[in-house]
Amino acid sequence: MGEERGPGGAVHLLCLAASSGVPLFCRSSRGGVPTRQQLPFSVIGSLNGVHMFGQNLDVQLSSARTEDTTVVWKSFHDSITLIVLSSEGGHSELKLERLLQMVFGAMVLLVGLEELTNIRNIERLKKELRASYHLIDSFLGNSELIGDLTQCVDCVIPPEGSPLQEALSNFAKATRTAFVSLVVSGRVLAATEGWWRLGTPEAVLLPWLLGSLPPQTARDYPVYLPHGSPTVPHRLLTLMLLPGLELCLLCGPQPLLSQLDPQLLESWWQPLLEPLRASVLLGPGALPAGFPLHEDILGLLLLHLELRRCLFTVEPSGDKEPSLVQRRRLLRSFYSLVTSTHFPPEPGLPEKVEDTAQKAQVPRACYLVSGPEEPGTGWRLVALQVGPRRLLLLLSPQSPTHGLRSLATHTLQALTPLF
Amino acid sequence: MAKPPAPGSVLVPDWHESAEGKEYLRCILRKSRRRVFGECLSPVTSVTCCSLQGAEESVGKGSLVAKAHKLLLPSPHHAKWLPRPSTGIQTTVVFWPAKLQASSRVVMFRFEFWDCGESALTKFDHMLPACQEKADAFLFLFSFTDRASFEDLPGQLARVTGEAPGAVKMVIGSKFDQYMHTDVPEQDLRAFRQAWELPLLRVKSVPGRRLADGRTLDGWAGLADMAHVLNSLAEHLWHQDQVAAGLLASSPENTPD
Repeated sequence: MGEERGPGGAVHLLCLAASSGVPLFCRSSRGGVPTRQQLPFSVIGSLNGVHMFGQNLDVQLSSARTEDTTVVWKSFHDSITLIVLSSEGGHSELKLERLLQMVFGAMVLLVGLEELTNIRNIERLKKELRASYHLIDSFLGNSELIGDLTQCVDCVIPPEGSPLQEALSNFAKATRTAFVSLVVSGRVLAATEGWWRLGTPEAVLLPWLLGSLPPQTARDYPVYLPHGSPTVPHRLLTLMLLPGLELCLLCGPQPLLSQLDPQLLESWWQPLLEPLRASVLLGPGALPAGFPLHEDILGLLLLHLELRRCLFTVEPSGDKEPSLVQRRRLLRSFYSLVTSTHFPPEPGLPEKVEDTAQKAQVPRACYLVSGPEEPGTGWRLVALQVGPRRLLLLLSPQSPTHGLRSLATHTLQALTPLF
Repeated sequence: MAKPPAPGSVLVPDWHESAEGKEYLRCILRKSRRRVFGECLSPVTSVTCCSLQGAEESVGKGSLVAKAHKLLLPSPHHAKWLPRPSTGIQTTVVFWPAKLQASSRVVMFRFEFWDCGESALTKFDHMLPACQEKADAFLFLFSFTDRASFEDLPGQLARVTGEAPGAVKMVIGSKFDQYMHTDVPEQDLRAFRQAWELPLLRVKSVPGRRLADGRTLDGWAGLADMAHVLNSLAEHLWHQDQVAAGLLASSPENTPD
């Protein structure tokens, strides 16, 4: 598998105004760390030129590959062109296309669609877009989350019988806000029905935004919902209940931030201090403490494709090889592989309507061994699709290949009641 | 607004450097880092709202608050502060203990700094009233390296004066350490002081010493940098409260156990 080629590879992201070709920004990362390295202007010009040349001839240039780099172009609303170049191994077109969708979503979220499609003052737009750099950089870095790729909301499962969901619903009623959630380090712990009904990409972007920002006691940010309300801003209120745990409200003009004062919050959330504390510890583990996982499992990605939620953790047996960063990379690459080649890419979307003959050929499981070819070595990766759920596991080399499927089936059965 | 108190007349000056003061400061630092309290863990319940005002994005409002709060640097990969426009309103709570001259009582102040980026203020009408509502103090920031931000101060002051006649107002000059590049000479400052009779403080803008991990700023060093601002703010607010209460009513702040 190609993903081990270069963990130190670079990713460059370019954003240009489609009509004039003026670069709006350029963000880069090397080995998952943001860098200030800029591409020469001539390279930016050529990359945009070749895309524009095709467009003038009614040819849509979507991607290109050189020996070590993949380039993907995408135009949005005939106004913004995004180009990404990646020399990180294992960056399939699917990954990069979704990256561009998320980046454009992030731009709409913080600047609004109107400003992006109707560019009146390019210098002002450049200045406004600076507000989205932090979020965009977090897509280029080594994030602990995977929602950017799966387009499903990263979640954690609260401990069984947790009173948080009920408290959250009551709080939502009291503040007359339909969209309320509790977010632990960028993952949704509990949310109201309204919040779960948010469309893609905002459902993924909002918790991601919180995970990428430095801690603040409270925030009142205007946000444009790329799917639900791209031109009329809503207010995103966040309140830090505990370090790492935030209460989020998506609302209109009411309530004011000053109305959510410490006394009010204390009366609602102080009685739940212990469950809240326990939830903060869940964070990257995603699963409730003590959940029985097979000892061979090193990483887990569970998706519910209808609800568009996912669980992602690489914490089990965290002291063993490979490193957590490497585990995330392996599972991300495996997800891209199975989604672009084996499983239908977006089973949740209406376009999946297909004849039964084709449906019969959709695979239900697949596995892959990554690394050296000697028997008994190499990380095992297994994917299983049952109904709306898709489970991907990263397993240690000791795990026998003939037992992978039953191990995955048992794990999925154990997780099904929770998710 | 009442006449500002003389520095050191309300609070014991440099009390935070005494053995007793350090004992209190240990409550708000953990392993030399500034502790982050969530709303559920807040040691004090009464609130003092301070609104930050500054015309330019680069005067360092966010940087000042973060310095007071000693957060992790927003971008740990870069060695220096990167000014980042604030998307909307963000608030930061800073706890600060101080000892009263008159009664020798120690008071734990809870400052709630409200900060809003200028671009968001101009784009969204509801932001400015939200920042001004209930504010007990306004901090007006300018940068010593940016003359325009200093010249804009009267406009900023005028924008706020009508809204909150009783609130404390303070002017803070940031990037004072970059005296080689200063655009605001001392005589201009003197003239401004005489015209407005407002307390004027200066702060450095270099992030102080770091801890062994190379990322986290040393809470003790940071406190020493910011102490004069927090002390001065505490002094003015306490004085203002006493005046408002006719010097008789009990204070709104709680003392720690």
